[in-house]
Amino acid sequence: MHVPLIIIGGGLSGLAAALRFARFIPDVLLLEQHSRVGGLNSYYYRNNRLFETGLHAITNYASPNEKNAPLNRLLRQLKIKRKELELHQQNKSEIRFINKQSLSFSNDFSLLDSEIKTKFPSSHKGFRKLLLLINSYDPFKPVPFISAKIIIEEHLQNPLLTDMLLCPLMYYGSSIENDMDLGQFVIMFKAIFEEGMFRPGGTIKDFLDLLLHHYHSYGGVIRTKTGVKQIISTGKKVSGVILENGDEISCDYLLSTIGSEETFTLLGKDSGIKQMIRLGFVETIFEVDPVTKLSSGHDNTIIFYNNGSEFRYQQPEQLVDFNSGVICMPQNFQDLPACPYKEVRTTHLANYEYWARGASNRSAYIKAKDNTAGSSLSVAEKILGNFAENIVYRDTFTPLTIKRFTAKKKGAIYGNPIKIKDGDIGYDNLFLAGTDQGFLGIIGSMMSGVSIINQHILPRL
Amino acid sequence: MTRDAIKNLILEIIEDIDEDADFDTLQSDKPLRDQLDLDSMDFLDIVMELRKRHKLQIPEEDYPELATLDSCVNYLEPLLADA
Repeated sequence: MHVPLIIIGGGLSGLAAALRFARFIPDVLLLEQHSRVGGLNSYYYRNNRLFETGLHAITNYASPNEKNAPLNRLLRQLKIKRKELELHQQNKSEIRFINKQSLSFSNDFSLLDSEIKTKFPSSHKGFRKLLLLINSYDPFKPVPFISAKIIIEEHLQNPLLTDMLLCPLMYYGSSIENDMDLGQFVIMFKAIFEEGMFRPGGTIKDFLDLLLHHYHSYGGVIRTKTGVKQIISTGKKVSGVILENGDEISCDYLLSTIGSEETFTLLGKDSGIKQMIRLGFVETIFEVDPVTKLSSGHDNTIIFYNNGSEFRYQQPEQLVDFNSGVICMPQNFQDLPACPYKEVRTTHLANYEYWARGASNRSAYIKAKDNTAGSSLSVAEKILGNFAENIVYRDTFTPLTIKRFTAKKKGAIYGNPIKIKDGDIGYDNLFLAGTDQGFLGIIGSMMSGVSIINQHILPRL
Repeated sequence: MTRDAIKNLILEIIEDIDEDADFDTLQSDKPLRDQLDLDSMDFLDIVMELRKRHKLQIPEEDYPELATLDSCVNYLEPLLADA
């Protein structure tokens, strides 16, 4: 069998790339090792209902008239109409550094601006100057790492405000510890603070089904439960793949969305990329009785909190670090249809090695998961008020769960700290998209797939 | 294909990319991108649609030939002579 293009990985970058390509050339083959597409943003069934994984909120909200906003560009590229998605904007969100300060923000940027003006008056002028820098900086130009933290601190002259602004941006997309690359910071700042957050009216399954529907309508083909064993290459040229089941498929072009090191492993080569710490996370879903009234912060969509003496975004020296994290209430988007359940979702940094070490002892692993849920509940209750009595169902994902279902190395959702921004990994006809290319979030990863197809593959065919 | 037909083909493709595109004020000798708020990603759609509809292979180095409506027509006229 021969196809012009094989895409490895049916996460959002692979799906978007496949859809973009199939619009013009239908003979594209998308290979996904799992039984479902979506990668990190997928779903599962428990307790007689569907649970979403990954999705808290989608960043990069834009109104229909902002033609060049990433969201609208992406939809145009994929020929998806906004009304097919039914967008619901966040109520508002909060950055809460307990016993220190809190900042609210929404899709109206003036809220964050006025919060900073009121609560950090001496830093407001610097914040305005920082905005000028953010809005004139080209984050896509390939340049060596520049510390965002140093630049922000220079502008704001206030370590607390620096950490508060970095907290949501790190939690929603930083693969490196305690800092961000300036380009990445600019992308995330625009995506979260300037553009804002939303979610579709349906579930992530509806969203994935919509992408698959369009993909199939162009004649694109997807094979799930189909792992790739090897990428066949000679010198700098790739000629095809060998599947886990031994089948061989040849292709003119190959796009890998499974990570840079993971791709080199399939090539049978050493990536030569420096090994750095990969950040792991735990997430717990608390489904609560829909009548539950939370006493504080209940209408927020997301709360990014820190309870430590200082904010540390780094691999913890224990299973989980509960000192900081994210609390998401997915029902808190504007005008969502009434839903028979309510959820509180929590995310914290976790140590993959520690979880992996204890995994062979099944009962200890389950106990560690229970303890994690319990400790996470305590911090969430500290912020939201008590809701333990109203929990009807609870589930916890560890870095091992994430690794098992997404094949991400060490369950690190944001992938390799070293990004390959142009998707070029040294081959003539093999390119990299997705997490390790460097665009993050749902819109970012989809844009990654689309832009690598546009840049490297479509013009050459 | 006549010059008018080629012009209409290009406009039809652009309308397909952006249904709100405003053609009333479009000047045929000025860059399409500036006038229609198209970015390079949208621009690629024109090339790919031409390929899909008329089996035209436009090499990357020729993309600048498609900058204005007039230059599109000039460039495509010989290529679409038998279309």
